[in-house]
Amino acid sequence: MRILLAEDDPMLGDGLRAGLRQLGFQVDWVRDGEAAERELASEVYAAGVLDLGLPRKDGMDVLQALRARRITTPVLVLTARDAVPDRIRGLDLGADDYVVKPVDLHELGARLRSLVRRAHGQMQDSLRCGGVLLAPAARQVSLNGEAVALSTREFDLLHTLMRNAGRVLSREQLEEQLYSWGHEVESNAIEVHIHHLRRKLQPDLIQTVRGVGYTVLRTPETA
Amino acid sequence: MRLQSSFNSLQARLLVLVLGVAAIVWLAAAALIWRDVRHELDELLDGHLAQAAALLVVQQAAHHEDDKMADAPSLHKYAPRVIFQVFHEGQLVQRSAQAGATPMSETGRGFSTVRLADGSEWRVFATQGAERDVQVYVGEQTDSRSAILRAVLRSVLLPLLVALPLLALAGWWAVLRGLLPLRHLSEALAQRRPEALEPVVLQDVPAEMQPLVQALNGLFGRMERLLESERRFTADAAHELRTPIAAIRAQAQVALGAGADEAQRQHALQATLAGCDRATHLVEQLLTLARLEAAPAGANDGVDLGGLARRVLAELAPGALLRHQQLELDVAASCRVTGNDMLLGVLLRNLVDNALRYSPDGASVQVSVALEAGQAVLRVEDSGAGMTAQEMARLGERFYRVPGHAQPGSGLGWSIVRRIAQVCGAQVQTASSERLGGLAVSVHWPAPDQRAA
Repeated sequence: MRILLAEDDPMLGDGLRAGLRQLGFQVDWVRDGEAAERELASEVYAAGVLDLGLPRKDGMDVLQALRARRITTPVLVLTARDAVPDRIRGLDLGADDYVVKPVDLHELGARLRSLVRRAHGQMQDSLRCGGVLLAPAARQVSLNGEAVALSTREFDLLHTLMRNAGRVLSREQLEEQLYSWGHEVESNAIEVHIHHLRRKLQPDLIQTVRGVGYTVLRTPETA
Repeated sequence: MRLQSSFNSLQARLLVLVLGVAAIVWLAAAALIWRDVRHELDELLDGHLAQAAALLVVQQAAHHEDDKMADAPSLHKYAPRVIFQVFHEGQLVQRSAQAGATPMSETGRGFSTVRLADGSEWRVFATQGAERDVQVYVGEQTDSRSAILRAVLRSVLLPLLVALPLLALAGWWAVLRGLLPLRHLSEALAQRRPEALEPVVLQDVPAEMQPLVQALNGLFGRMERLLESERRFTADAAHELRTPIAAIRAQAQVALGAGADEAQRQHALQATLAGCDRATHLVEQLLTLARLEAAPAGANDGVDLGGLARRVLAELAPGALLRHQQLELDVAASCRVTGNDMLLGVLLRNLVDNALRYSPDGASVQVSVALEAGQAVLRVEDSGAGMTAQEMARLGERFYRVPGHAQPGSGLGWSIVRRIAQVCGAQVQTASSERLGGLAVSVHWPAPDQRAA
C-alpha cells in the first residue's frame, strides 16, 4: 500500500517513514504543504498522513483544497493540535481520521489499513476471492486454507488488485501503487509478478484485459 | 503576652482606646477639681473659724465680769457640727452645747486637727485675748468638710457614669462609620472568586487605605503575570513536546522492529537519543522563557560584555570546531552594560548558538563588542544562508522556525533573546551581514556606562 507522509519535522518524518516501511507500507515523504497537496492530488496513494503545522501551506488548507477538488484519497491527520475545536474542524474539512501525536506505529498502521478498507467499502480487514484469502495486517495469503509464501512485491500487487476487485488497473497504475520514490521499476516487473502470482495461487485469479490492464473479478461473498 | 481575640478587632480596639482616654481625662479633671475645691474650702472655712473665734474673744472681753459658765443654745441643725469653748483665766466660761469641759486642743494658738474622746475629728482654731486671759477654741467637724467635697466630686463624677455608656454607644457608631471603607474592601475581597486576579476597584477610598489597595492590586497584577506565564508554559510545553516525543517513539519502535537490519537499528537508536536531547533543550528553553516572562523588566548590575563574550564563546567553540566552523571574537573596547550576568549569558549563547546551528559546516561566525557613537554594541555575524525580509520579520514569534532547516530547534531562542534585551534595556536588530554574507544580529545599549579597562 503506497502512503504519502507529509511531515516537516526531520526526525519524526524519518522515524515514521522507516516504521511504516517495516509494517509493509510503501512510503513517500514530503516536507511542506504545497508538495503534500500536489502529491495527494495525483491520486496514486492509497492514503495520506498529514501533519497540520506544515511550512508553505497549512495542513488544514491542504485538506480543504483537496476536498474542493473532489479528491477522495483517505487522509489521516497526525498533529500536535489536540484541542477539540481543532479536531472538529479537521474532521469537518474532510480528514478521515484525526490522531494526536505521539502515536504508536502499529496503531497508525492499523488506522491506515482501516481507512483504505473503508474507502473501498469493505467491512473486514481480510479480502477473499474464490479460494484466496488475504490478510493485510498479518501480510499473509492462503489458498483454500493453506498458507502461501509471497514476496513483498507479489503481496502488494495482489493486495492492490484484490482491494480494487472488479476494476481494471493499468500497468502504470499498478506501478504507481507499488513503488515509492527512489525505486527503479523494470519495464516488465509487473508482468513477472503477475506470472508468479498465477503460478503460486490460481491461474484464473488475475485476468488480463489486453491493451488495458489487469483485474481480479469480484466474487459473490460466501459467508 | 497574648492579646485577647476581641483586641484583634480594630473596632473594639478603637472603642476601648477612645473610652479609656475619655475616662482618664475625666478622672484627671475630677482629681484637679477635688484638689482646688478642698483648698478653697479649707481657706474659706478656716476663715470662718478664725472670724468666729475673734467674735468670741471680743464678746468675752466685753462681759468678763460675768464669769459664770454659760452654754450656748443649739440654734440650727448644723450647730452640732460646730463647737466652741471660751476659757477665762483657765476657767471654762462659755461653750457650745456639744463641747466638752477640757480644752479641745493642746495648741494655744492657730489651727490644729484633733481627735476627740468620742473618736470624731475636728478642725480647731485657737486664739487668745489681748491680755492672754481669754482662751478661745472654735472647732468644726472635718466630716462636714469631706461631705462638701464629696458632694462636689459627686456632681463631677456622676455625669461621667451616665455619659460613659452613651459615649461608648456613640463611639461604637462613629468607629463603625469610620471603618466603613475597610469593611467595603473586605467584603469586596470576600466576594471575589478565588481565581479572580483583576484589580480591586472601590469608590471613595480614603487616603490611608490607598497604599493598601494599591499594594493589593500590585500583588494581584504580579500573580496574574506569573499565572499567565505558567499557563502559557504548560500549554506550550504540552503542545511543543508532542512532536519530539512522537519522533522519539517512532524511532524507538523502528529500532525494535528493525530485526536483522543492524544499520537501521543503529540509525533509529541514534535518532532516539538525538530526540531526547532535543526534547530536553526544548524544555530548558521553555522554562527560561517562562521565568523571563514573569521577571520584572528593569536593569540591575553592570556586566563586562567582552569578558562575558569570551566565556560564552569558550563554551561553544568545541562544538563549532567539530563542524569545522570558525568562531572569532573581536573586543574593540571594554564595554560595561546594564543587565544581569546570567541573563546576558543566555542571550549571547542563544545568538551564537543560532549562528553556528544554522550555518553550514566550515562557515565562519564572528562576534564583536564595540563602542559606536557612545553606544555599546554586541554583534553576531555569520556566513550562513541569511534570511529574507519576511523571515526576519517573523523572528521572535514563539515557535516560529525558519523553514527548510534540518537542524533541530525549539523556535524559542529568539523569543528568549528579545525578552532578555527588553529586561536589560537593550535593542535587537537583524540585518544582512556585509562582511560575511549571512545574518547579522546586533544588540544596542542606548546609554552605556563605559569604562576603560
